[in-house]
Order: sequence, then C-alpha cells, then structure tokens
Amino acid sequence: MSGADGVATAPRVTILVCDDDAMIREALCDVLREERDFEVVGAAADADEAIELATQHQPGVAVVDFRMPGGGARAAREILLRSPGTRVLTFSAHADFGAVEEMRRAGVTEYLLKGVPNTEIVATVRRLGGSGVTR
Amino acid sequence: MSSELLVQGVLDYAIFMLDTEGHILSWNPGAERIKGYTAEQIIGRHFSVFYPPEARAQGRPARGLRIATAEGRYEEEGWRLRRDGTRFWANVVITALFDDNGHLRGFGKVTRDLTERRAAEQALTESEERFRLLVQGVLDYAIFMLDTEGRIVSWNTGAERIKGHTAEQIIGQHFSVFYPPEAKAEGKPERELRIATAEGRYEEEGWRLRRDGTRFWASVVITALFDDNGHLRGFGKVTRDLTERRAAEQALTQRRRLLAHLVEAQEMERRRIAWDVHDDSIQSMVAVGMRLQLLANRVPPELAPQVRQLDESVSGAIGRLRSLSFRLRPPGIDRHGLVEALGGYLEEVVTGWGLRYAFDHSLEGEVPTEVAITIFRICQEALTNVHKHARASTVKVSLAPAGQGVLTRVTDDGVGFEAPLGPLTGREHFGVIEMRERAETADGWWTMHGEPGGGTTVEFWLPTPPVGGGDAPGEGTS
Repeated sequence: MSGADGVATAPRVTILVCDDDAMIREALCDVLREERDFEVVGAAADADEAIELATQHQPGVAVVDFRMPGGGARAAREILLRSPGTRVLTFSAHADFGAVEEMRRAGVTEYLLKGVPNTEIVATVRRLGGSGVTR
Repeated sequence: MSSELLVQGVLDYAIFMLDTEGHILSWNPGAERIKGYTAEQIIGRHFSVFYPPEARAQGRPARGLRIATAEGRYEEEGWRLRRDGTRFWANVVITALFDDNGHLRGFGKVTRDLTERRAAEQALTESEERFRLLVQGVLDYAIFMLDTEGRIVSWNTGAERIKGHTAEQIIGQHFSVFYPPEAKAEGKPERELRIATAEGRYEEEGWRLRRDGTRFWASVVITALFDDNGHLRGFGKVTRDLTERRAAEQALTQRRRLLAHLVEAQEMERRRIAWDVHDDSIQSMVAVGMRLQLLANRVPPELAPQVRQLDESVSGAIGRLRSLSFRLRPPGIDRHGLVEALGGYLEEVVTGWGLRYAFDHSLEGEVPTEVAITIFRICQEALTNVHKHARASTVKVSLAPAGQGVLTRVTDDGVGFEAPLGPLTGREHFGVIEMRERAETADGWWTMHGEPGGGTTVEFWLPTPPVGGGDAPGEGTS
C-alpha cells in the first residue's frame, strides 16, 4: 500500500485482463484492483477485443487466457506486435505441453495455471510490471 | 537251324516240347532260368511236375493238353512251381503240333514268369484302390473329374456333401451347373477350363451353387490332366466350401469395425466430459477460489480461517478435477502418435506421482489409432494401479512389435501379489476387468503376473490390422 495520504506517487502497473469466462475475468479484475499500485485499464472477453484494448491502452501487463474465442496465442502475438511495451502473462487452465509450447511460440514465456493462489498472480504481475514495489 | 538257335537263345521264355502224353522232350535256357531245372534233370519227366498239388489234383495238366488238342491252342495264367518248390505266376501257352496227316505229334509249350508284373499290377491296383477310397471318403473337399468338354465323370462323398448332388444325379452333366447364372452367362466355366488347359491350373474363390440353388463361397482348383503324349484327357476339380470361413472373416472385420467405432465413441464422450469439466466446472471453481481468498481478507478475523478452509477445499477439488480431466482427455494420439502420447503421460503424470520410469519402444511405423488408444488406456489403467497399490519406485513400460501386433509390458518393482490370487480376484477388481476387456474386445490378450515382493507385470498383446482397414480377402460379389 503506497501512502496513506491517498496520493499515488509510486509508478502504477497498468493491466489488461483477457478471459472469456466472465466469473474468472471479474474475479481476476477484483483481485488485481485490490492492489493500490495496480490499475486495470481494460477487460476483454475475446482475442479481438483484447488486441483492440491493448492497442488503445498500451498496458504494462496483459493477462491472457490460453483458450478463448479468437485464440489466446493469436491475441498474445498481436498484443506484442501492437503494444511492444506490454509484457504478456498466460493465465490458463491448460498445463499441457502443447498449450505451453503454443504460447511460447507466440512469444510468451510467463505461464500461470488457473487455481494458483491470488498472491502468486499478484506477485507475477508486479514482477512483470516492473513496478519494483515490494511488500 | 536258325529257329532252333533262336529258341536256345531266349532267356525270358521257357520254350519246350512235350510228347503227346505230356513228357518233356526239349528244354531251353529260358526254361532253366525260370523253372530251375537243367535239361538233364527234366527231360523225360511229365510236365505236371510244374503244377502245384491242388492243380494236379484237379487234373489241370491233362485238361490243358485236351483243350490244346481240341482247339489247337490253350492259354492260361496261373501258379506254377519252380524246382525249389517256390511258386511263380505264369502265363502259359500250349500249342498242339500235328503232322501233315493231322496226327498229333506233341505239344509246344511257352511259359512266361509274370510274378513281377503281377506283383506290380497288384501293387498298382491296391494303391489305386486306396487312393480311390481316400478320394471317395474325403468329406471336406469335393473332388471330381471332368472330361475334356467339362462333363462330370466322377464324384466323391465330399462333392455330394458340399454340392448336394448324388453321383447318379450329376455324372454326365456339364460342370457349369455349379455356377450362378451370371457367371454362366459370361462364359466363366469355359474360360476356367481354357486357362487350366493353357496354364495347367486354375484357381479362384467365388460363388457356386448347391443343388438346392443356395450359394456358397468356394475355393476352386481346376487341374488339367494330360497323358504321356501331352494330350488333354480331362480335368481334376477340387472345391472347398469356404462359406463358414468367409462368414467368420466378415464377422471379424465387422467386430473390428465395431470396436473402432466403440473406441471412437468412447473417446469422443470422454473428450466432451473432459472439456465440460475443464471449461466449466474448473473455471467456476477457480473463480470461486479467487473470490474466497479476497473474502478472507475482508471478513471479521474470526471468520477468516473458515473462509480459508473453504478455499483450500475448493483448491483441492480443482486439483482432483484437473487430473480427472487429464485422464479423460484423448491423449493426442491422433496428432502426435502413441509413443509421444505415452511418453508425455509418463513424464507429466507418472513423474508427478514420484515414480521413476523407463520407456522402451521399438515399434516400426505408426499403430492404427484405435489400437493406439486401447494401448494407451490400458497402460494408463496399469500405471494407475502401480501408483495406487504397488508401492513401487520404478515402473518400466515397453512397446514392441510381435506377430502382426504390439506387445506391451508395464512392469513395476513394487510389492507384487500378496497371495497367489487369480488375476480377477482381490484388489482392483474393476480396473483389471476393464483392462482385460479392452484387450479382448480388440481381439488381443491380457495377463497380469507377479509374485510377493517381486513386482507386478501387466502384459498384453493387440493385433494391428493394416492401416487403411482393407477388407477380408475375396471381397466383391456379395
């Protein structure tokens, strides 16, 4: 938590959340919004929306579901192309070799399996966002 | 005299003269050779010494002379005695000799030893008889002869059994009566005889008719029969009824097809369940877990432990559902092949159980998908058993080609069998039955063996029909 005075001085991590499952998407947004240094700048339900929002907001971190309409790998590839400063984190229910490999080929090496504790999600996003804020 | 010399030189015939009473007047080397007497020993004696006692008792010698006198010539075949008492089968010709005035002067006698010829003839007759009986008695093959025109000249029991005609009903008829109308119309019977004549032999499988008009699937061999001069004398025809074999083959093919559909349907169903679990149940529970963790930070501190406990049980359930979904999911054999799918499973799951594994495979080429899936599923079940029961540290899986199929072994170094129990009693009843049924449904076999403390080996073999699933031989007309 940065400063009780309410003035945010620390650099904020801007985040785009991409998941077609509404329950997950909203829960993830809520988890990330809990962190004062995080700002969720958009939430997409499919690949096209994700690419559009990433282009528009140039987020620091995009959390991308592997399996969603339009394809998580395509979304990741396009986001990296149109928003070169964005770090992509795959957040997937699929842990199999094929899924990991497909995302790796799209340029994504960060991979979290759905079901990991919230703290791990937060820590990974913060590390990728490079905010340097430690708690 | 030259005729005298000739007679004296002949060795194969006993040629000698008798006086009118039957006493021997002359003797040649052939007679000596055949009968064993020298001229000195025999000349002057009565020729009845050559006859066995029973023939002498019947008055055969005198009868021979009487007939020769009356008719000029007497010929017979019969047993004669050599000097040493042994018998030989003789051809005897007695010729009465008359002088110019018609007075009987004596007899000329020519005897040939036919013992060998007779033995050879008898052997031949016996062998022909035996062969005839053999052919006649064969039930499983219709064996019969055709003349050069294709008319039936012989018939055996097998032919009667298979085709339904008796010999009386069929002999003399043209063999085209066995062919269905469409085959007759296109001249198939004649064509087969032409080919057999040209090439010596014709063979095929095809439909034939029984007497009652029903069809049977026949294996037919027609052999052209030539005499020593190369002239066609007729045809031998051997026909076998393959209806049952064909039906069995078709049943097998159908069973394999059914199995393929079954495996496919089962895998599709599993895939659907796996996706449902994965995409719906797990996702919802993940969201619930995330919410519970958020909630734990917001509720009054005394409630927080309960919320965390809820989160933990949700998290445990997610783990179990995830491994269920993994087990249900088709292993990707269609995309990556059996070896890679099984290797991936060993690496991801078996290693996750804390087991070391070794994986040997020496398969040549890819295994048909439904067989590969069956192998994979049985291995999966066997490995689960190892995990649950064996208390093993290492498991070894091997795949090897064996007799038109794949032999798979899953061996562990665990506790083995507790007691010498039958494979279907005791622990893990259900998984064992499932493995065995999967293997046997696919026309293979499955065994599990081991001994207390000596580990357990699950071994099974599945046939691999050629990829592309060609049908049984002889396809077409049906």
